[in-house]
Order: sequence, then C-alpha cells, then structure tokens
Amino acid sequence: MSAVISAQNVRKRFGDHEVLRGISLDLAEHEVVCLIGASGSGKSTLLRCLNLLETIDEGDIVFRGQSLTDARIDPNLVRRHISIVFQAFNLFPHLSVLDNVMLGPVRALGRSRDEVKVEAMELLERIGLAPRALEFPDRLSGGQQQRVAIVRSLAMKPDVLLLDEVTSALDPTLVGEVLDLLTDLARGGTTMLIATHEMNFARNVADRVVFLHNGEIVESGTPSQIFDQPREAATAAFLSRVN
Amino acid sequence: MGRRAAVASSLSSAIIVGLIIWFFWRAPNGANVRHFFLDPHSFWINLTGDPSRSLYSILRCFETNVWMFMLCEALVLIFGLGLAWLRLSRTPILAPLRVASAIYTDVFRGIPIILVLFAVGYGVPGMQAGWISQRTPITYACATLVITYSAYVAEVYRAGMNSVPNGQVMAARSLGLSDVQTMRRVILPQAVRNVVPPLLNDFISLQKDTALVGTLGIVEANQAAHVFGAMEFNYTGYTVAALLFLALTIPMTRYTDHLIAKDRRRRLAGGTV
Amino acid sequence: MRGLKSLTTLAAGSALVLSGLVVSTGSATATTAIAQCQASFKSGHLPLVSAGKLTVASDINNGLYQPWFGANGNPSTGKGYESALAYAIAKDLGITSKNVKWTAEAFDSSFAPGSKNFDFDINEISVTADRAQVVDFSNSYYNVQQSIVALKTNAIVKHHSATDLKNYTYGDQIGTTGLDYINNHIKPTKQVHVYNTLDEAVAALTAGQVDAIVVDTPTGQYMAAAQIVNSKNKTIATQVGQFPTAGEHYGLLFEKGNTLVGCVNAAIADLTTKGTIKSLQSQYLGIYNKVPKLTPIQP
Ligand SMILES: Nc1ncnc2c1ncn2[C@@H]1O[C@H](COP(=O)(O)OP(=O)(O)OP(=O)(O)O)[C@@H](O)[C@H]1O
Ligand SMILES: [Mg+2]
Repeated sequence: MSAVISAQNVRKRFGDHEVLRGISLDLAEHEVVCLIGASGSGKSTLLRCLNLLETIDEGDIVFRGQSLTDARIDPNLVRRHISIVFQAFNLFPHLSVLDNVMLGPVRALGRSRDEVKVEAMELLERIGLAPRALEFPDRLSGGQQQRVAIVRSLAMKPDVLLLDEVTSALDPTLVGEVLDLLTDLARGGTTMLIATHEMNFARNVADRVVFLHNGEIVESGTPSQIFDQPREAATAAFLSRVN
Repeated sequence: MGRRAAVASSLSSAIIVGLIIWFFWRAPNGANVRHFFLDPHSFWINLTGDPSRSLYSILRCFETNVWMFMLCEALVLIFGLGLAWLRLSRTPILAPLRVASAIYTDVFRGIPIILVLFAVGYGVPGMQAGWISQRTPITYACATLVITYSAYVAEVYRAGMNSVPNGQVMAARSLGLSDVQTMRRVILPQAVRNVVPPLLNDFISLQKDTALVGTLGIVEANQAAHVFGAMEFNYTGYTVAALLFLALTIPMTRYTDHLIAKDRRRRLAGGTV
Repeated sequence: MRGLKSLTTLAAGSALVLSGLVVSTGSATATTAIAQCQASFKSGHLPLVSAGKLTVASDINNGLYQPWFGANGNPSTGKGYESALAYAIAKDLGITSKNVKWTAEAFDSSFAPGSKNFDFDINEISVTADRAQVVDFSNSYYNVQQSIVALKTNAIVKHHSATDLKNYTYGDQIGTTGLDYINNHIKPTKQVHVYNTLDEAVAALTAGQVDAIVVDTPTGQYMAAAQIVNSKNKTIATQVGQFPTAGEHYGLLFEKGNTLVGCVNAAIADLTTKGTIKSLQSQYLGIYNKVPKLTPIQP
C-alpha cells in the first residue's frame, strides 16, 4: 500500500530551538494514525508542516509521489487535498454555519453554490446541526462548533485530514460528541492523522499510534503494542504520567 | 432606565442647558455677540444668497461639500484599503510597495492637510505639466482629501486587520483560500466590523475638512460664510454652515450606530438571514 | 499686499464717501480744530489708549508692503505712504515720532465686537456703510481705483474690451473691493474663485488656475513690477489696466464711538490744506496715474 502523504526526515527550527529533529512518517490510504506525546513535543508543528502552513528546514514532504518542497508547488492547491482542523475551531464568526462549511468548496474549488449547498447540508445533517445551518457560530456550543469545523474541512473532500487536539479546548462533557464523529469518520475510511491526548480514543480508533518525544519519533506501532507493551522507557514514562 | 429615572435625567439636563443659555444670554455684551453670530436677517440672507451684493447662498454652496464628501469618501475607502493591504502583504515581490505604503501613511498622516492642499492645489497646476496641471481647483481639492484621508483610513483598516485573530487566517489558508480570497472573504469582513466607529470618525472629519478647500478659491459653505463675514462684518454665516454640517453628520452617526447594533443583534440572535 | 480688504454696497458706500469728502470746509476751521486738538493732547485730554502715546495698528504679523510701508516691512521707519501719513498725523497733533507706537492687528479681528487696544488701524481698509456700523472710520486718505493683473502670456493682456472681460476666469481675495468689483461691474460668465488671502489668489494666478485678479492700482502695480516673478526672478505678470474709480476710499479704523476720530479728521484736513497728503501721494503713489484705462460694462 503506497503512502498518501509522507514526511521524510523533516527538520524544523524556530530560531535555535529545533522542534522537529528528523521526522519520517508515512500515512497510507484509509489509515488512521494517532500522534501522542507530551506538550511541546512538536505534534502541532508537524501537522502544520504537513499542511504547508509552516516551511520546513530540511527533509521532504511527499504527497502522492509529489515532493511538496518543490518551489513550483502552490501551497493553496496542496491545502485543498490536505485539510487541518485546529484545537481552537477557528470558525468564521461573520459567516453562518452553512457559509462556513461552503466557503472552501465555493471559493477555493470554484464549485457551484447550489451543488455545494446540498453536500454541506448533508454533512450538517450528519452531525445533527442541519436545523441550525443559518445561525452564526457564536450561538453554538463548543462541541457543536468543533464538529462544524471538522465538517468544514470534510466539505473540501480532502485526501488527508489532519486533526490537532480537537477536543482539548472543550468542556469534558462535550468531548464525547466530537470523538464519536471522528470514530465515525475512521470507520468510513477517512485518512486521518490525529494529534491527541485522549488515549482511550487512540486505542479504539487508531490503526497505528506514533509517540513523539522532543521532536523525534521514539516509537510507533499498533495501539496495543504502544499502550500495553511500550518498548522505550520514554514511552512508558509518558504513558504512566497521562494514565 | 426606569420612567422616573428618565424623567429625572431629562429634567436635570434641561436645567443645566437652561443655566448655560441663561448665563450667556445675560452676559454684558451678550446681545452684541448674539447679533454677531445669530442675526435672523443675516441668517436668511445666508440661506438665500444675494447676488446683487456678491453674497452666496450657503445652502447652494453646501451642495459642493456634500458631493465632494461622497465622492472622496468612496475613493478613500478604496485607496485606504489598497494601502493597508499592501502594508500587510507578505509576498516578497511586493516588499518595495510595502515599504512605500508605510512611508506614504507616515508622511501623509503627519502633514497638516492644509499644506497638502497648497502643494497639490497650487503646485501641480503651477508645474504646467500638461493635462494633470489643467484640472479645476475642485479636482485638486478632492485629490488632496483622498491622498490625506487614505493614509488615515489605511491605518484604521490595518488596525482592524491586525485585530482579526491569526487562527482565522490559518483556518482560511488551510481551506485552500488564496491570499486575496483570505483577505476578501475572511479578514476584511471581520476587520471592517471592528473598525466601523473609527472609520466613521474619519468620515466625519473628512466631511468637515471639505470646509478647508476654500483655500483653493472654491466657494463651498464655509467659504461662503467667510465671504459674508468679510463683507457684512457678521459671523451668522458660520452658524448657518455649522448647522448644515450638523444636519449631515448627526444622522450619519445615528444611522451607523443603528447598523452596528443591527449587525450585533443578527450575529447573536437566531439565524433568520 | 494686504490691501483693499472689503467693501459691499457701493451705493451706501458712495453716500459715505460724499460725506467723507466734505473734509476741508475752509482752512480757517481746520486750523482752529487742529489747534484745539494739539492743546488737548498737551493737557492729556486726548483719548488715547496709552497716555501720551499714539498707538497705531496694522497687519504687522502678516507682512507690510510697499508702497504703503517701507521696503523692510518695518512700520516705524516713516517710509511708505501709510507709515509716513501716520507720523504726519501724529506730528500734526503734537505727538513726537518717538511716541508713536505700532501694534499688530490682523484684518479679520479688526472688526470683531469688543474694545480695541489701538487708537487707529491703518491697513488699506476700504470704508463701507456696513463696516461703519461696527467700527468708526476717519475721512478718506486715499481714493482707490481697481485694476486687472494677469500673467503676460494670458489672452486678457491683448483682449480686454468690455465684452471680452466677461469671458475670463477671475480670482480674488475674500471680502475685497476687487472681488466686489468683479461681481458687480465685470460680471463674468464663469464662477469667480474666492481665496482667503491675496497670496493664494496670486498663487492661483501664477499656477494658471485663474486668468486675472482685480486689485487696487497701487497693489497691482507692485505685484506686476516686483512681486510676481518666476524662478529666475523675472517678472511674469502685468497690470493690464485700471477701471474708473467707483467711489472707494481708504480710511483709518477706530473702535466704535472713539472720539479721537474728530481730531484725526482735523489732522487729515489740516494735512490736506498744507499739501502734505498730496506730496506724500506723489512721492509714494505717483506712478499709478500712468496705468492704462479700462472700461467695464456699466451695471
Ligand atoms: N511559531 C513558533 N515560534 C517559536 N517557537 C514555536 C512556534 N510554534 C511552536 N513553537 C515551539 O515548538 C515547540 C513544539 O510546539 P508544538 O506546538 O508543536 O507542540 P505540541 O506537541 O503541539 O504541544 P501541545 O501538546 O502543548 O499542543 C514548543 O517548544 C513551542 O514553544
Ligand atoms: Mg499542539
């Protein structure tokens, strides 16, 4: 199975601080990978690099066989295929829920509004928010907003969905509804790279779990392998701290 | 505010205003000053004009202020946005323009408008550089207002754009929106909402500064009042001009407030779009 | 040139001129009057704002110009028509030139309500009926004619028949007799440009924004001869011609109700009788008679 997207020996520095120290990671079609690691280990940075929101200092990012570090690559085109959802939702407050979802397909992909609207309403239906399509995001709960944010990314029909701790900003009672949606997506075959602190969730949905420590991938394997029989001391130490 | 509170507050305001009027009315030379600023006969002449005495109708002259203001405001909104956009652009090839736009805003916000008016209104035609030197004074006046106010408004826009959280930009970019689309669809609509009050401020100033263009020989409301003052030794014309300006700015302010409130209600209330 | 300043109703203005020109009703009366004034100055009864001194105002802060004042713009040299006249009046009242004090008064504030801190203001101020309601004026010390100043290259230099004159764009300083003359006598078809100051009107003239300006003959003479120059200091304007007098004259401006105006009028009458005024005029203002005559369409 060939990789949809792969990071090859990616290095990223902020000033003197090397945040990513040679990360290599492949993501296969329909694969769900969970990225775990302590705060500051570089999870968000890695996701942003894959999405070209950050430039990398060394290494390469390859999408379906095409190097993305090539100067001729238009990042805007790449981002239509690799979508990212943020911890802080970042819904557009001046647009209705429906317009939030439709903005990318209509403006970036140039598709017809009518066509996009049908799909957007289907997506909102799926998360149970179709009746509130015309409201503004400020009126929704955090969990609802994050689900809209995920759906907004899905509307782009991306090849890969990157999710950066999408439940961290939520009230614990609202975490469940968001994770349910992700579980649903995973079952449906969406290719996802998920940075998360929710270990149970990772155990349940991930095909593979990757442990990031100080900007390096220390260990990677199936959920049971990582969670039940970690090979590396750093992994074991991290897991004992979070559990 | 309850009914009683409302009654009490309007009563106290009425008393304070009454006292102030009474004080000035009773001043030893009050009658002369009233004649000087509020002479009913002069008031009427200033409204109607009197060509036989070379006196203008301030009402007619005010038309010049109004259309200048409307034209300039539209242009200022466009140029100011262009300047702010350049200033915030990250594209490397635009770097020289970015610097130019920064210098432009610094310079034109710093120079008193009257000096720009002189430079443009007398300098440009004086150069005798063909077409550009053969425009009417009112064209140079409008150019001056647009040049200066674009600098102010660019800074207002820029503040507004900076007030939009970075996450909004990230979200837009991650949806594959281009620079221009991100600006147009995400940053600008939010930025403008944030800066409507300061923008309005600048517009009211712009409106009032149309009164400066008399410097270029244009007889607008303020210059017409000036003519009357110099001929009749009476300043009632300025009172007339002031009232006309107020008649324009106050409704404009109220209307904008109303729009802001409406927008806020819409965003926080149910979704009937 | 600060000049000309304002004037409006010429009809009313001329009525005033008539009464104003009946100055010297006989040298005997004038001599008696001036003798009484000299006596009251000696005894300290002359109503002066500063005892023993004559305080004279002009627009010092905005610049004083030839031929009304000396070349350096300093009013206390006694050079220039107005400066010389102020000293002549003082001397006639028995006030030594050492006791003549100058003070700055901008034109616009000279007619604001309230008291004045000068005895009189000498600033080429035209006497009008409207102004005379707010301030008092002395009798005439100079009768004014209006003239056209234009760039040498402008068509108006060659074509200025009464009908031609209507077709140019004129500019002038606000509230001036020149502006009034344009509106009431030339009656141009194009909108007149009204400037706050004379230098702005001149700037517009040199920039080609207006074809011509109308100013009194002395001012126009000075503008064309010295003031309006190009970068090589060559004069570029010319005085096209002057119009017949419309009854305008300059008077000294006093605070409303100031009784000093009587003694100053006595001095002007005395100086007229003695020929002082005539000789000062030919010394400083003589060149103006040579300017060609123009005719506007009669209103
Ligand atoms: N724009 C930036 N400039 C400088 N340093 C940065 C920047 N972004 C991230 N860093 C640093 O890079 C390191 C990794 O940050 P990153 O956000 O990737 O960690 P993380 O694993 O996502 O942590 P968390 O679990 O808290 O979200 C941190 O030390 C952070 O301070
Ligand atoms: Mg993070």
